[in-house]
Amino acid sequence: MSISHTITLEINRYDPDTELSWIHTYQVEASGILRFVDVLRKINDEQDPTLAWPSSCEHAQCGSCGIIVNGKPLLACELLVKDAVEQFNTHTFKLKPLTIAPVLRDLVVDLEKAYDRVHKAKPYLIKPAPPHRDGDEYRISPKTLEIYSEATRCINCFCCATACISSHHHFLGPNTTMANMVRLMDPRERARKERMDILYREDGVYRCHTARACSFVCPKDIDVSHFLALGKEGKF
Amino acid sequence: MGKTLTVDSTSRCDVLIIGAGGAGLRAAAQIGEQRPGTSIIALTKVFSPQKSHTTTAQGGMAAVDPKDPVDRAIFHMFDTWKGSDCSADQNVIKKLCAIGWEEVVWLERHGMHFSRTEEGRIAKRPFGGHMLDFGETLAFRACYEADRTGKGIMDTVWAESLKYGVNFIGQCIATELLCKDGHCIGAIIFRYPEGKFFAILAKATIIATGGKTRMYLVSSNCRGNTGDGLALALNTGLPVMDLEAVQFHPTGMVGPGILASEALRGEGAILRNKDEEPFMERYAPTAKDLAPRDLISRAIIQEIREGRGLFHEGHNAHHVWLDLRHLPKEVHEKKIQEVCSFFKRFVGVDPEKDLCPVTPTAHYQMGGIPTNEFGEVQGDTHGIVPGLFACGEVAAASLHGLNRLGTNSLLELITMGRVTGEGVVEYLKDAKDPDGLPPDAGHIIFDQFSTYLHAQGKEKYAEIRDTLRNLMMEKVGIFRSEKSLLEAVDDLGELKERATHIPPGTTCMRTNQDLWQIWELNNLITVSMVIAQGALARKESRGAHFREDYPKRSDEFNYHTLVYMPKFNTVTFDKRPIDMSIFEAKGDHYELFDYIQREY
Ligand SMILES: Cc1cc2nc3c(=O)[nH]c(=O)nc-3n(C[C@H](O)[C@H](O)[C@H](O)COP(=O)(O)OP(=O)(O)OC[C@H]3O[C@@H](n4cnc5c(N)ncnc54)[C@H](O)[C@@H]3O)c2cc1C
Ligand code: SF4
Ligand code: SF4
Ligand code: FES
Repeated sequence: MSISHTITLEINRYDPDTELSWIHTYQVEASGILRFVDVLRKINDEQDPTLAWPSSCEHAQCGSCGIIVNGKPLLACELLVKDAVEQFNTHTFKLKPLTIAPVLRDLVVDLEKAYDRVHKAKPYLIKPAPPHRDGDEYRISPKTLEIYSEATRCINCFCCATACISSHHHFLGPNTTMANMVRLMDPRERARKERMDILYREDGVYRCHTARACSFVCPKDIDVSHFLALGKEGKF
Repeated sequence: MGKTLTVDSTSRCDVLIIGAGGAGLRAAAQIGEQRPGTSIIALTKVFSPQKSHTTTAQGGMAAVDPKDPVDRAIFHMFDTWKGSDCSADQNVIKKLCAIGWEEVVWLERHGMHFSRTEEGRIAKRPFGGHMLDFGETLAFRACYEADRTGKGIMDTVWAESLKYGVNFIGQCIATELLCKDGHCIGAIIFRYPEGKFFAILAKATIIATGGKTRMYLVSSNCRGNTGDGLALALNTGLPVMDLEAVQFHPTGMVGPGILASEALRGEGAILRNKDEEPFMERYAPTAKDLAPRDLISRAIIQEIREGRGLFHEGHNAHHVWLDLRHLPKEVHEKKIQEVCSFFKRFVGVDPEKDLCPVTPTAHYQMGGIPTNEFGEVQGDTHGIVPGLFACGEVAAASLHGLNRLGTNSLLELITMGRVTGEGVVEYLKDAKDPDGLPPDAGHIIFDQFSTYLHAQGKEKYAEIRDTLRNLMMEKVGIFRSEKSLLEAVDDLGELKERATHIPPGTTCMRTNQDLWQIWELNNLITVSMVIAQGALARKESRGAHFREDYPKRSDEFNYHTLVYMPKFNTVTFDKRPIDMSIFEAKGDHYELFDYIQREY
């Protein structure tokens, strides 16, 4: 369980002051049960305090730590060294920042900017249905909820948006489109027309080519493209 | 070298919210709803408020539905009082328990995706310390969204604030409060991407920076929970309250300490020792695995000390087992899906088949910036600081006293968030725009950052951080004594000095992670010192604070600890009386709100 691995990390660096980019190679001796965030911290602690990388909750629940490892966008906080060695069948890992927003430094990208897209999906209830006659909560059956509750698990890590080719070209992107779908499927939302306008706008769901890269990379195992397909078919 | 630090520019707003988490944004939404057009700026260290730590809360939010056939608000009040080991404030208990359900309905109407009963109503589950009929049987009182209740709450208040046009500023830290003539008029912030300081002037400021237990080796808290809000207050000369009360959650996943929610035990999971004995039956015959957290955490350490624990080779840590194998598949897949996936991913065990290794993890700090029941910050024993409010985990009103019940924190965030929002709206009626920056604006933070940027020596950030986290765990952890606490105070003094000799990796200011982490480390050391000093002064055991040399509660300490520390380790103590208004009103069952014994 605690077998140690000697791994090589080739990390894309960027210095905002000099605007220089380069690749820095680090050798790390790491226990198999360390997460990639622990490895990055180990590099800070033992080799290079200047390497910048994003994280917050460090248990796959906030979506701050997305990076690209050997071509795959994923959460650095839930990738264990032993699993990485097995999954990618190598001890050498190329770490790159997500491609969805400008790089601030090294592996940190400006997700704050990426969020501008999510805001466009208006994640709130635009026009809530009138309250239940008893004056308390709406009644929603578990069956109805189940149809869209998977989509509510999205943590906006932008891994799917990074993997989606279309989302680099005038497409709001999988997670944003799905956020709009959640409210289209939510029985409490009455602003259906406005929601449909968001869905079918120029940069809307028809930009998606159903290649399913989004579902493939989603760290929360959400079948994102399923929800987008429902959008295209008008099933909500 | 020799960089001169300055305020780059100044902006203005009506309300500045330092900390756009669950509490801060519930307040924002309240202000937006009640007073449309108010200009609000909300700050967060992370990229988006949605990523605040509230999003990781799992189990539920306690609230009694007035239409519930068996549960009643008075039971909830009693549980909270008893759970606090008779040290919460009864005016606050009464107020928040009374409006809890309204707030659940508020969240639901604003789009939260609560789990449902077959009738389509909000589902509820039992949680530790929440009982019917004054401690008789478990109550179904925790409203939940599967095991991601905090995410549901965070998504809702974030989206609602967005709707009201709240201006979010991410990737920044508030580094200094601005005060003039005893009023708070805003703050100086440091934005990571630009590496610059900005001033924000506001008519009212709310501190809602959340949790603060990253000073412990094993902690369920996020990377940024470094006690900044408390340090801000202390540096401004304001008191903090009851910091010695740190809650260790009994079931952290062995290793990093990721939380395995009490909801698991609410659904029927059982703690077992190395002989697979369900040992909680011995410690709490009635409440068993749903006894309050402090009790279970101590029981686990006791089992380990007496040789009935286990040792995890990989993580080099002692632990006991949490058994979920007997729970129905349906529960694994629908009700506790996220937590089960954490066990699979981070620990490599499958809760449906394997026993799960767990150990107590530092989770929550009951104390904080003292406020009254309206969220107004207390300046000294008598007055408030005009223009300054606080709510959420960083504040203490105090609903929890020295020990909090599970699901009562989300309740507090949302109810106190609303109440604080209402208080701010009231305050804005007569509030004036601040004239301008105080002449000494920035002196505290420029001093600190200059020290870090010019530091010379051989000290390493990582070494000091790790020493701190080990010493707090060992000496100021679940069990404390005069000896361990005195040692801790000495050690912390030394660490503080050493921390001034960490040369920064680079002095270039943009996204300089190293730089702000040194600032955070200093905050952690500051807050740790107050915890240790408070623990040393409280010569009794109460709630989460346990002294091996004084294992009993003592009436002598029936008060809240107030500590001022304007300069490191120059501490002044003060007391705040515990509010006993339910007891004093002499209504039905008032005798249960006396200083009662706490048994489960
Ligand atoms: C894993 C876990 C599970 C939990 N489960 C439950 C549960 O089931 N039920 C329950 O009742 N409670 C639970 N709790 C407790 C509860 O979730 C927290 O107490 C609560 O979420 C804190 O909310 P908050 O709004 O005060 O702070 P947060 O949501 O943490 O927000 C704080 C905000 O302040 C910002 N901030 C911090 N410092 C600064 C600074 N210097 N400048 C600017 N911004 C700053 C942060 O970036 C963040 O945006 C849990 C806690 C944890 C850690
Ligand atoms: S859908 Fe999945 S991959 Fe995409 S942002 Fe949400 S959680 Fe991340
Ligand atoms: S299915 Fe659509 S959204 Fe998903 S990756 Fe492909 S193009 Fe992008
Ligand atoms: S740090 Fe929160 S998801 Fe990885």
